[in-house]
Amino acid sequence: MITTSNLSKKYNNNLVLKIDSLEIPRGQSFGLVGNNGAGKTTYFSLLLDLIQPTTGYINNNNVLVHESEDWKPFTSSFIDESFLIGYLTAEEYFYFIGELRNQNKADVDKLLAQFEDFFHGEILKQKKYLRDLSKGNQKKAGIVAALIGNPEVIILDEPFANLDPTTQIRLKGIIKDLAEKQGVTVLISSHDLMHVTDVCERIVVLEKGEIIKDLATNSATLKELEAHFSGTTVV
Amino acid sequence: MIKRFLSLEWKQFSRASYFQKGIAIKILLFFAALYFGGIAVFLGVGIFFILKKAVPDVDPIETVNNFLIYWVLFDLVIRFFMQQLPVMNIKPLMAIPIKRKTIVHFLLGKTTLSFFNIITILLFVPFCVVLLVKGYAVLNVICWFLSIMFITLSVNFLNFLINKNNTFFYIITSVLAVLVGLEFYGIYKTSEPIGMAFNALFNNPYLVIIPLGLLIGLYRLNFSYIINEFYLDGAISKKVEKVDTTDLTWMNRFGSITIFLKNDVRLIWRNARPKQVLMMSFLFLFYGLIFYTQETYQKMPAFLAFASMFVTGGFLMTFGQLVPSWDSEYYKLLMSQNIPYRKYLESKWYLMVVAVAISFVLSTPYLYFGWKIFGMIAAGALFNIGLNSFITLFGGALNRVPIELNVKAKAFGNTNGFNPTQMLIALPKLVLPMLLFYVPYKLINFEVGLIVLALSGVLGIVFKNFFLSKIESIYQKGKYKTIAAFAEKN
Repeated sequence: MITTSNLSKKYNNNLVLKIDSLEIPRGQSFGLVGNNGAGKTTYFSLLLDLIQPTTGYINNNNVLVHESEDWKPFTSSFIDESFLIGYLTAEEYFYFIGELRNQNKADVDKLLAQFEDFFHGEILKQKKYLRDLSKGNQKKAGIVAALIGNPEVIILDEPFANLDPTTQIRLKGIIKDLAEKQGVTVLISSHDLMHVTDVCERIVVLEKGEIIKDLATNSATLKELEAHFSGTTVV
Repeated sequence: MIKRFLSLEWKQFSRASYFQKGIAIKILLFFAALYFGGIAVFLGVGIFFILKKAVPDVDPIETVNNFLIYWVLFDLVIRFFMQQLPVMNIKPLMAIPIKRKTIVHFLLGKTTLSFFNIITILLFVPFCVVLLVKGYAVLNVICWFLSIMFITLSVNFLNFLINKNNTFFYIITSVLAVLVGLEFYGIYKTSEPIGMAFNALFNNPYLVIIPLGLLIGLYRLNFSYIINEFYLDGAISKKVEKVDTTDLTWMNRFGSITIFLKNDVRLIWRNARPKQVLMMSFLFLFYGLIFYTQETYQKMPAFLAFASMFVTGGFLMTFGQLVPSWDSEYYKLLMSQNIPYRKYLESKWYLMVVAVAISFVLSTPYLYFGWKIFGMIAAGALFNIGLNSFITLFGGALNRVPIELNVKAKAFGNTNGFNPTQMLIALPKLVLPMLLFYVPYKLINFEVGLIVLALSGVLGIVFKNFFLSKIESIYQKGKYKTIAAFAEKN
């Protein structure tokens, strides 16, 4: 589904990302972990054509991301609050995204109904603008908006951060369901090793912009990751 | 402690992103400040002599006193719309051991350094110097000056209360409305006793206590108001607004641009900055009064054409020049969605066209100045719709300054959306209507001048798609730069 080849990004001769080759098949739940500055958000921004690659390319479902815009209809994302329109209410925002993705009001309502649990009564019918919601609730709205319009690729940057425990658990269920049952390719990044091993079938570790581990998740993965990040070597 | 606050403020000022822009902007800003300061000083010096000539039998100081109330009201109104409230970033200060009182005093003290207070000093100091030179009693002049300053500062603090508290706002606006109404219809002239009061202030220096008392009273009122609300959810915090739930489904008839149009309407309605622009563009409607009422300009029809363009073009120019910037807060979202630039631009264009149309309807009272003037306004409106709109959008496309939507622009720190390219683009906007009108006017006659100006607008509408494609390509070319620039805020 997503092929990354020879990709690098430099800022003033400062190499922040260098991925020679990375292949993400359709329907995989893919996790990206790494310390601050490892290049996670840079990679996602390149995937969304928000920044220009210095070398190489990303191919999303046979579309070269930095050359054509045809990847947009089947790709959706929530990276940070700048993906929200602060002066809209949650409903208005969902309908706006829905219209951009050719979904009418009824379609959007149908989708939102599935997430009543996830919203926990704090998003819809709140008579509040998005900018006045708490960080966690903003995130909830942003994540659900990224699910509107049956995307085939969903990119979520740090989806677990700022969420309360209940919502974190619900979100894990949602992500698993997307990848396993609906065949959606889900890319997430996280600092929470536990969550990411729970949710993702594959985990890639970035360090200083390079891939240093590429693991298929199994029962030993969490241990291995913890060992890696605590600086001890695995036996 | 105060010293440390001051150094924080200085850092906030000198490290603000707009200050680290190019040297060109700094120079421009410097000249702008110099210009306005200079005008104020010049006016301050000149007013004495102007009044002496205009009303020879009345002492100039009396004339000034009679009209002073209008200055105070004007000051209040301008402040209400323009002055930023002192929302110091108090969150980090709340938990460290500083006395609340100190912080509040500083917060209030800071507002006295506002541009609006400085302009008063620049105006009245030269005037008072002239008074002294002309031999008015020293004590009277100094006390009068102090009174003016106290009143100005009172307005400063009054504005804070009005802004924070709706009841104050309604009380004051209704009282003002009644007084202005009575004055206008000649039932009771409130300005006369107030003028007398100001004269009394001048003649009896000891009365300076009254404005001083007023100032102290207002300061204390502000102080107790803030200290009682000194909590994260109190007066100093940002307000959580009530949602306005106007139904915009009627807009669905606009077809494919509806999505954007709805959003744009909400953008303007729900954010402080665009609302301010809306207010300002309303003032543009009165621009014609300056030109049409003066004999001298009647013989300079090119200037009249220029003014006529402004009458209907206020919103178009002030809103349009910041077109992608309005969406800077969520530009990444727009760029990662399947958004046709064309529809996005078209929506903004329609918005501008509607604004010109509304301004045109509102400008019908200009018929008073005769059909020729009104014809000019009509031709100017067509020029605005057909050409000016595209020139403005073009200029906006080159502009990559992020805007904080829900923050009022500062009166002077406002370099948001202000750069040299913008200035260059502004030139054709101003010169073109003059040329389009003046050349045929000189060569043939007045009517042909009007027709050419109007036709230029029609021609622009015919080539709308061509212009929009051109602007679109700028957007595409600058995509990464724009995203990076918009992400830079804070």
